[in-house]
Amino acid sequence: MATLRVEIVTPEAALFAGEATSVVARSSAGEFMVLPGHTATVGDVVPGVVRVQTPEGEIAFAVHGGYFQVGTAGEGVTLVTVLAGVAENVADIDVARAQAAKDRLEAELASSTAANPDDHAPHLAAHAALARAELRLRAAAK
Amino acid sequence: MAGGQERVLRRRIKSVDNTRKITKAMELIAASQIPRAQSRIAANRPYRDGMRRIIIEAAKGDPVAAKKLLVQPEHVASAAVLVITGDRGLSGAYNASTLRAAERLVRRLQSEGTTVRLFAVGKKATAFLRFRGLSVEETFVGFADRPTFADAREVAGVIAAPFIDGEVQQILMVSTVFHSSASQSVEVAQLLPLTAPEAPVEEAPHKLVGYTEFEPEVEELLFFLAPRALESEIFTALLDGAASFHISQQRAMAAATENADDLALNLKRIMNRARQDSITTEIMEIVGGAEALRSGK
Repeated sequence: MATLRVEIVTPEAALFAGEATSVVARSSAGEFMVLPGHTATVGDVVPGVVRVQTPEGEIAFAVHGGYFQVGTAGEGVTLVTVLAGVAENVADIDVARAQAAKDRLEAELASSTAANPDDHAPHLAAHAALARAELRLRAAAK
Repeated sequence: MAGGQERVLRRRIKSVDNTRKITKAMELIAASQIPRAQSRIAANRPYRDGMRRIIIEAAKGDPVAAKKLLVQPEHVASAAVLVITGDRGLSGAYNASTLRAAERLVRRLQSEGTTVRLFAVGKKATAFLRFRGLSVEETFVGFADRPTFADAREVAGVIAAPFIDGEVQQILMVSTVFHSSASQSVEVAQLLPLTAPEAPVEEAPHKLVGYTEFEPEVEELLFFLAPRALESEIFTALLDGAASFHISQQRAMAAATENADDLALNLKRIMNRARQDSITTEIMEIVGGAEALRSGK
């Protein structure tokens, strides 16, 4: 029987590596699901929640943008690799910290945008951090 | 006179012993950092390999689109060079050999008529390069010992900016590649334009398949992948550099400790001889004095 191996990898650590029954994620072309036997695919993962169904239950990961590759690793084994610069297990998200970060960044952006309304470049990092905080909160709320 | 010499030697031995204590402590600290640095390299490897694999896959999947993005410039009027060194010295040849390689590269590019813009990681780079008349546009300090991915991201953002604006046509990196704890080498790599890695990624778990689908299309995929791949390559270099630095420092400090041991041993011998000499002289004086007294009676 065909099996599915899933790896969720960041530069600092492998978050997950193991057997699964399905993976659901969203790419810029739309939401997709990978089942055992999926055709070879390479694509991007837009920031959102990646859900891995394992025999022991569902594990959700907040993935802050990345790429995925589906291929085969030997006879009957479909391998899904999700590469993300930043990602975390939803169960590990510190909601209070994410909320505090969101509030702080919103205040920061409001004041710096007011001071400098036309130049967006200095706010890019703050916007990215804010997007991450918001995704964490969304992911944890579900 | 002889007693004075002994005191001077004793003081020198004490000073050598103190130096030895410091070098020994630095050796042990560096040694304790090595396993951590190595495990971080290992943790990053799946991500880096995955990134390279996607580029290879994309280049294979749509060679026409890939060629547009992986195209190498025919004439490089201006290039950016990123040099990765450490924040601290006392690490043997680690900083020096990287910087020498960087200098050679810059001189070669300049002799070909290319304008070079220098960027550096590590406190040691700026002073060295400035002394040789090369000015560094921006130096990143404070994380060479323990780089995080966010640090790599910051560096990538800064050095990619002139490339995106079209001010430079090529970005090169000089860094120390960590092959194993026994072997590291200084290498020059091209960061941008992206190059499809020629050597296949080690033990790629994805088997070759005839046909691969892309979402989105290869051209768009590679366009957005380029900054991510840049971050990944810089992060890899930072981790390799940190591990190489610790190994190099450990080795240098072990050698320094050994030298201090030898020096202290030599000084101790000289001191003992001086002490013996002074005792002998003293005895001779006493005996001589006694003789003189007796014969004078």
